[in-house]
Amino acid sequence: MSETLAQLGKYAEEIGTKVSPLRKNESVIEVSQERLKPFIAHVVNDLYIRHLMTITGLDLGQNLGIIYHFSKERDTIHVRTSIPKSKPEAVSIIDLVPGAILYEMELHDMFGIEFIGNPWKERKLLLPEDWPADLPPPLLKTTKADQIRKRLGLEVAKP
Amino acid sequence: MSTPPDQPRREESAGLMEYSTESLVPFGPIHPALKEPEYFKLVLEGERIVNVIPRIGYVHRGLEKAAESRPWVQNMYMFERTCGICSFVHSLCYGQAVEELTLYQVPRRAKYIRTIIAEMERIHSHLLWVGLMGHWAGFDTLFMWVWNDREVVLDLVEAIAGNRVHKSMNAFCGVRRDMPENMEDRIVERMKFLTDRARYYKEVIDTEETMLARTENIGRVSADTVEKLCAVGPMARYVGLKRDVRLNDPYAAYDEVPLDVITTTEGDVHALLKLRLDELIVSANMVTYAVENLPDGPIRVKVPPIIPAGEHSSHCEAPRGEIFYYVKSTGGRTPDRVKSRQPTMANLPTALELLKGQTLADIPIVLTAIDPCFGCMDRMSFYDTETNKRWTWSGEELRQYGINYYFPERSKKPHGLKKIGDQSSDSCLMEGF
Repeated sequence: MSETLAQLGKYAEEIGTKVSPLRKNESVIEVSQERLKPFIAHVVNDLYIRHLMTITGLDLGQNLGIIYHFSKERDTIHVRTSIPKSKPEAVSIIDLVPGAILYEMELHDMFGIEFIGNPWKERKLLLPEDWPADLPPPLLKTTKADQIRKRLGLEVAKP
Repeated sequence: MSTPPDQPRREESAGLMEYSTESLVPFGPIHPALKEPEYFKLVLEGERIVNVIPRIGYVHRGLEKAAESRPWVQNMYMFERTCGICSFVHSLCYGQAVEELTLYQVPRRAKYIRTIIAEMERIHSHLLWVGLMGHWAGFDTLFMWVWNDREVVLDLVEAIAGNRVHKSMNAFCGVRRDMPENMEDRIVERMKFLTDRARYYKEVIDTEETMLARTENIGRVSADTVEKLCAVGPMARYVGLKRDVRLNDPYAAYDEVPLDVITTTEGDVHALLKLRLDELIVSANMVTYAVENLPDGPIRVKVPPIIPAGEHSSHCEAPRGEIFYYVKSTGGRTPDRVKSRQPTMANLPTALELLKGQTLADIPIVLTAIDPCFGCMDRMSFYDTETNKRWTWSGEELRQYGINYYFPERSKKPHGLKKIGDQSSDSCLMEGF
């Protein structure tokens, strides 16, 4: 395990979270939504892991999962957090990682997650501007392609 | 980007009139003849761009959603269709993420063949980009020469894979086709030819005044900004960041094939041109090495159609930079979730930063500099809030405007502005482009 990942493991132990190694140079860390901001501040400013590869959204049934994928040279870390589906609000990290702005907008489009602190959070990035407000976000498991096609007045694919 | 400014919209443009020098310019969207349509709202102060607001998604096809209802294998060839230029590396990256979930190992020969195809793809993508830069700068001779040379590498890809663009070479834990026999000499000879051509183009770019005038000191940005905005690939390397997945997290046969990561600190579009040509030479050397040292053995391991439960991610160095795939399996015949992130998405914040402070004439050069799949600037409409005047330029007219701006003596005829509603039917497609 590299020095950076060892340091990260030590810090995670201090704040009481779990680090699980995935591959030789890869670790997954589960962080609660309240602790996310200070944790990422530590990762970016102290450990100097500054490259955010992307943010992945997941539909976990009752919850929505958010994974921040960071990398620095040989090391990759995945910071996992989750928010309840009933209140899809997450904290924005663009003041720490300015490059996250488009990824957060993408998650807002696709999962309906509102990132508190993102100045462009109301703006559509990938979905059309006339996307009907009554349609659920497209990447949720409960949203079916036929449902979207029907609402948009498109032909429904035959089985 | 760190402090996104106000959001001027069409309906809010009245607010802009208070600052009489600023104009709002909607830019795009355009048709996908070759490159992707994108849309930018530019706020201009005279000739200078002061702010850019992106609006992408015009070619969003919902691949991530579609992947959830398709078998694992079918997804590999669907994700290959993400891009029409760097197609192979998408299936490679998705395949690697899935391979991590299985217990099978990729044969060594297959790793080498993957490396050869991936590097040939980089060569053809970089050549395509150099040609486009020549076209947008008003140096069409370079464009024609370079695209002619691009055929050389496309022919090699066709001889190996059977297809020029969508190779469909990958399978889980291997490749679908073996290298043809007696190809070695031909590949080595063609790679040497391409190396010589790349050296010559570097010379041309350094001496030809058209290219110098259009690219030198254009598109400067600090390394710190690029790092903060998480740029990838050549866009990170041209300011001196050594960000290359092939070096940092070697996949395929990159841990065995000698790799030379090119970085430069000059940090303008001219340096970017030379950097991509240098990378092309490195890629040609890597192909030569891989072909000469191609190991024997099987090319593929059969993998069952059901992938064990778990989640994994993979990243690869595409010609434009790092691509990223995340896959999650619940042990079924279809994935539970696939996430893919393309390099243009990661480089877009940097491109917006680059545009600020440039002139209108530099838009084609700066936007093409990041090697995006957008840049086809047909139907660009202008809106001057001061006089409420509107007009539309096609991509060709914008290109001509840029050329006239820098080389007024070359303009044969003045390019008039077309009024909205007066659009002729010619599009980029009809320009043979």
